[in-house]
Amino acid sequence: MTQPDTSATGNVKEAKLPRRDWILLPLIGLLTICLLAGSVELIAMWMFPQLGTAGEDCMVYDPSTGSRGIPNSVCWEKIPEGELTEYRFNSCGHRAGMECGPKPSGTYRIVMIGTSFTLGMRVPREKTFAALLPLELSRRTGLKVELYNEAMPEESPDILAHRFSEVLKAEPDMVLWALNQGDIGSSKKGMNPPPISDSKSRLLVRAWHRVKAAYAQDSFMDFIRYIFRHTRTATLLSHFLYSSNSQFVKASLMSDDYQSEPSADRKKLLKEFDNDAASIEAQAINAGVPLVAVLLPNHAQAAMISMQELPAGVDPYWADEDVRSIITSHGGIYIDMFPDIRAIPNLQLGYFPVEGHPNALGHAIFTEALAQELTNGSVPALKVVAQPQAALEQSR
Amino acid sequence: MDSASFQFVLFGLAAALISNVSRSRVWRSIVLMFASIAFLGLLAHNPIVFLPLAGFLGLGYAGIVLLERGWSRSFAASLLVVLFVYIWLKRYTFLPEGIFLRLPYFTLGLSYIFFRVLHLLIETKDNHEKQHIGLGAYLLYTLNFTTLVSGPIQRYDEFARDQFAREPIPLGPRVIGLQLERIVRGFFKVNVLAMLFNMVREDAIAQLFQPLPLSFKLYAAFKVTVVYPCFLYSNFSGYIDIVIALARLMRVRLPENFDRPFSAASVLDFWNRWHITLSNWLKTYVYNPLLLTLMRRISSLKLQAFLGVFCFFVTFFLVGVWHGRTSEFVFFGVLTGGGMSINKLWQMGLTSAMGRKRYRALANNFVYVAFGRGLNYSWFGFTLFWFWAGWKQIDRVFAALSLADWLGVWATTWLVATLILALWEWLRATLLSIKTAEGPVFTSRYALVVYASALCLVALVFTVLLNQPAPEIVYKAF
Repeated sequence: MTQPDTSATGNVKEAKLPRRDWILLPLIGLLTICLLAGSVELIAMWMFPQLGTAGEDCMVYDPSTGSRGIPNSVCWEKIPEGELTEYRFNSCGHRAGMECGPKPSGTYRIVMIGTSFTLGMRVPREKTFAALLPLELSRRTGLKVELYNEAMPEESPDILAHRFSEVLKAEPDMVLWALNQGDIGSSKKGMNPPPISDSKSRLLVRAWHRVKAAYAQDSFMDFIRYIFRHTRTATLLSHFLYSSNSQFVKASLMSDDYQSEPSADRKKLLKEFDNDAASIEAQAINAGVPLVAVLLPNHAQAAMISMQELPAGVDPYWADEDVRSIITSHGGIYIDMFPDIRAIPNLQLGYFPVEGHPNALGHAIFTEALAQELTNGSVPALKVVAQPQAALEQSR
Repeated sequence: MDSASFQFVLFGLAAALISNVSRSRVWRSIVLMFASIAFLGLLAHNPIVFLPLAGFLGLGYAGIVLLERGWSRSFAASLLVVLFVYIWLKRYTFLPEGIFLRLPYFTLGLSYIFFRVLHLLIETKDNHEKQHIGLGAYLLYTLNFTTLVSGPIQRYDEFARDQFAREPIPLGPRVIGLQLERIVRGFFKVNVLAMLFNMVREDAIAQLFQPLPLSFKLYAAFKVTVVYPCFLYSNFSGYIDIVIALARLMRVRLPENFDRPFSAASVLDFWNRWHITLSNWLKTYVYNPLLLTLMRRISSLKLQAFLGVFCFFVTFFLVGVWHGRTSEFVFFGVLTGGGMSINKLWQMGLTSAMGRKRYRALANNFVYVAFGRGLNYSWFGFTLFWFWAGWKQIDRVFAALSLADWLGVWATTWLVATLILALWEWLRATLLSIKTAEGPVFTSRYALVVYASALCLVALVFTVLLNQPAPEIVYKAF
């Protein structure tokens, strides 16, 4: 509360400050800051425990081929906001939940490609939509649907176009390309390598990588911010702040990623994406495999959809419309899950507030929306013949 | 540069540092002038946008010069011209759209400049000593960067007393320490507290419109009602803390604008504690002259008792109307003026029914005061709906619940505000009662250093490291 400055009310000469206070007061200030910072960090470490290992430890990174899973490897991670998660890669280096190999007879095989959202980063495999979708599709269609997940983090469309022949080797009946808005802008040049790829002497390697990365920042402020971002206090405070939808939207809108008016950079990225999509779709058409693309909403889009009012000039749907137009112009099928999710209250709860990937709830929402869109006739082979409502209810 | 940003604080501190290079009043005035011009330059880069503001200031000064030269008959005309130009530049919606200027121009702080110019016109007319106000002093007073954006509304004589004093007011380590603590406190209020309150409110509004169970919506409505007064207080008083401290470091004492407003047990008392300089200005230049004029004209003793009620209504109706250009603010004015008048009638009614002595005893009763505080808080929260929302949004907000639900929400707000404010008053009194020979422990310089260091750390983490956008100063728009 405001207190009047009593010492400033008159032209009275103020009393001298005792000499000891010139040392004591700064020391008290410093001690307060250290105690506060230390105790908050300890509380944050207790509230948001984290394992020293990460899913990325089971992946290798090559600038020309992007990330690859180490064949037959298993890694564990627990990010501060998430649960204990296993990453098990098969002999082909895929987190597919099955071995790679020929398609079993009588099975409708979907091969799914995409990046970290599609891989199900930070979520146990059994809770990802890659695991849930085939069960839901089988239930709805009566077919034996199998989904083989070949997604890899930060696999940009140009890398995907180069290795698409590998995707076709898995004998898909359909290729499902699940993208998110960030993938449109990614290219080999813009990709970031996974933070750490050395599973041995992790702690020291991690520390060394962090120091190197901190010094590589553009300015002193960025250096400080980088160091702070890696404290658990940052996770605690960001988690608290981004649990608020409005604050998260405001922070997201500080960049121009969601402006309805495209910037020159965005136009350039869309052009590159158009070229890569054309190459991927041409290969799919030549192989006679239908390619179905879908844009998965990211955390910022979900948060904006949950808000009733957005500032003028903001459009969370632009990527949905642009990707649809690019995919369909090259002969692919585009399914739009945004209409299915728009009515879901608090959609943003389907994401880790700070880390940003979809959580188990988000994957469940994706499953429901994807199953709805894939079986509504967009993909003829998966079309569900209309049943009386009572029969549908009974089957549930 | 945002009004309460890190950059603004650094700018103000730099200006204060340079200003204190010399104690000469000329030097201090030159620094203040340059700082104010630089501040305007940082707010808008194209000089053309300042032309209407310059014209407004020119009109005001011309009126003052005419009055100084004895043209007392020009007073009414000057007043009307300044008033009309102000309304025209502010684009009040009751004026026809076609008469407004089409070019973009600078209006930030115009409302506060308007009050200062009117004050000078009236005082120049009434001032029998005919103290001359030079153009430099006039510009320093009206464009002072510490009061430009959102006040406080300082009187010219108070400004001149400190700014043009041969011997400037003292500025020792204790005062500097207190001002730095106040800057930290203000910065924390604006950039952390106000941001958090705003976050809760915006989420609650969004929840009101979502297909959620009734209990969630009731809780959301409660949050919408309760949080906005806290947000507004943190936002506005935080900014005022910063500018008062910066001005003090430049050896100018600005008037206080807040005095623990939510401790007020009545609406009448509340407006003595909230935006004090605005209330005082209107009491001086509207309430008092209006009451005197009416009392001279109406001789009936019975009616005279109600003249104060009427004058309160008019004065605080103007407080509401001043805040904005639309019909929502007219309604806000009706509610504010209405609240003041009803409170006055209540006091008069109880005094006449119970007698002055028993009413005074009741007004000091702990329970009566606690419920009064709660009622004042919830009333203020209710009136503020017309302050932060347009008719369309108000309609949507109210339509989200039934009338009975809203009445329940108001009743809960009153009860919760009563309990929490009573608890806060008790806690504050208890903490301040812990004393040493030098005074209360919690206001000692050691405690203030602990407090300021902690707030400074938190504020820097939120603004600089987490880069969280804080809401703009609400009163900047007025």
